[in-house]
Amino acid sequence: METRGVLIVDDEKNIRLTLRRALESLRLDTDSAVNGEEALAKLQERRFSVVLLDLKMPGMDGMEVLRRLRAARPEVKVIIITAHGTIESAVEAMKLGAADFIQKPFAPKEIRDLVTKVLDRDKLAAEKAESYEEHVELAKRCISQRQFDAAEEHARQAVSADATKPEAFNLLGVLLEMAGRKLEAQKNYRAALALDPTYRPANENLSRTTGLTSGGISVGAGTGGGEAGGERTP
Amino acid sequence: MTASDRFIVIVGCGRLGAYLANRLSRDGNGVVVIDAEEQAFAALSPEYSGFRVEGDATELAVLREAKADKADVVVAATRDDNVNLMVAQVAKVEFGVARVLARVFEPRREAVCRKLGVETICPTAMSAELFLKAIAREPAP
Repeated sequence: METRGVLIVDDEKNIRLTLRRALESLRLDTDSAVNGEEALAKLQERRFSVVLLDLKMPGMDGMEVLRRLRAARPEVKVIIITAHGTIESAVEAMKLGAADFIQKPFAPKEIRDLVTKVLDRDKLAAEKAESYEEHVELAKRCISQRQFDAAEEHARQAVSADATKPEAFNLLGVLLEMAGRKLEAQKNYRAALALDPTYRPANENLSRTTGLTSGGISVGAGTGGGEAGGERTP
Repeated sequence: MTASDRFIVIVGCGRLGAYLANRLSRDGNGVVVIDAEEQAFAALSPEYSGFRVEGDATELAVLREAKADKADVVVAATRDDNVNLMVAQVAKVEFGVARVLARVFEPRREAVCRKLGVETICPTAMSAELFLKAIAREPAP
């Protein structure tokens, strides 16, 4: 089996160290780069499965690295590291094809879970679907069948297929909310609204989770969806 | 999760907070330290590899920003008992953090903490004990 390498790209030494330490127990082959230029050079030298990429770096910033990486090595999965409260740039990065993002500061377990999830994502996508619409439909169907892990996977696939539409972000939010991950859910509702401020389901979900209004979870219009009630066991 | 692989949020980066942050970070834990004053972070050693969050920890948003809601341990180590009690209470009740420790100078406040499930360390009571023991000891000949 190919070694699953992780490249850590951050100009701050303490972040590189924290990430490296956090990933130690996963027994992944980690390497690090202090700026965008070094990262691209290392990515040319050898294969990495995942890149943890800081957006804000002197010289070539993370967004530019992401752009070039997506053009040259689209199979490499990129996890964006952003500062607290910079959701817009994270959304921008998702549009460019980043696999996921995490906000600083992060707990070691959060990083491990995210990297594991991103690495396993390919394996999890059991049902065949390719287009954004197919993934959205499957995500909704899985929600109605209470297959929440599969639903989450399809919602994420939909986001990767087309990160300019709000519905998939809203679905992801719904799933995270049901798993009790309210803050992450709100992150996705906000992402949906950043793409389309008039998208009502996300607006309603965000208002409800922030305690402004009450009401049921809204997965949006379409077949196979409807009200998703009940607690999700994480 | 081992003893040196925990996610620990420390509130207050004074002498005690900074010392704990440096040690816990050096041992390999994930550490976030919160302080209202940016210059307080100067007390952190160059080897400190955790995060710094500048802000008032009595604000829920600041504790959330530091991800105290995901912490294995929260330590309230500011020089103000009331702040420590408030932070500890939020961590325990609102976030359900498994271990919450607070420094309280006033021994009478310890009982309140215990009721909340917050462990306390009272420097006043501890040093008083040491003084009493020293006083009771026979003087060296």
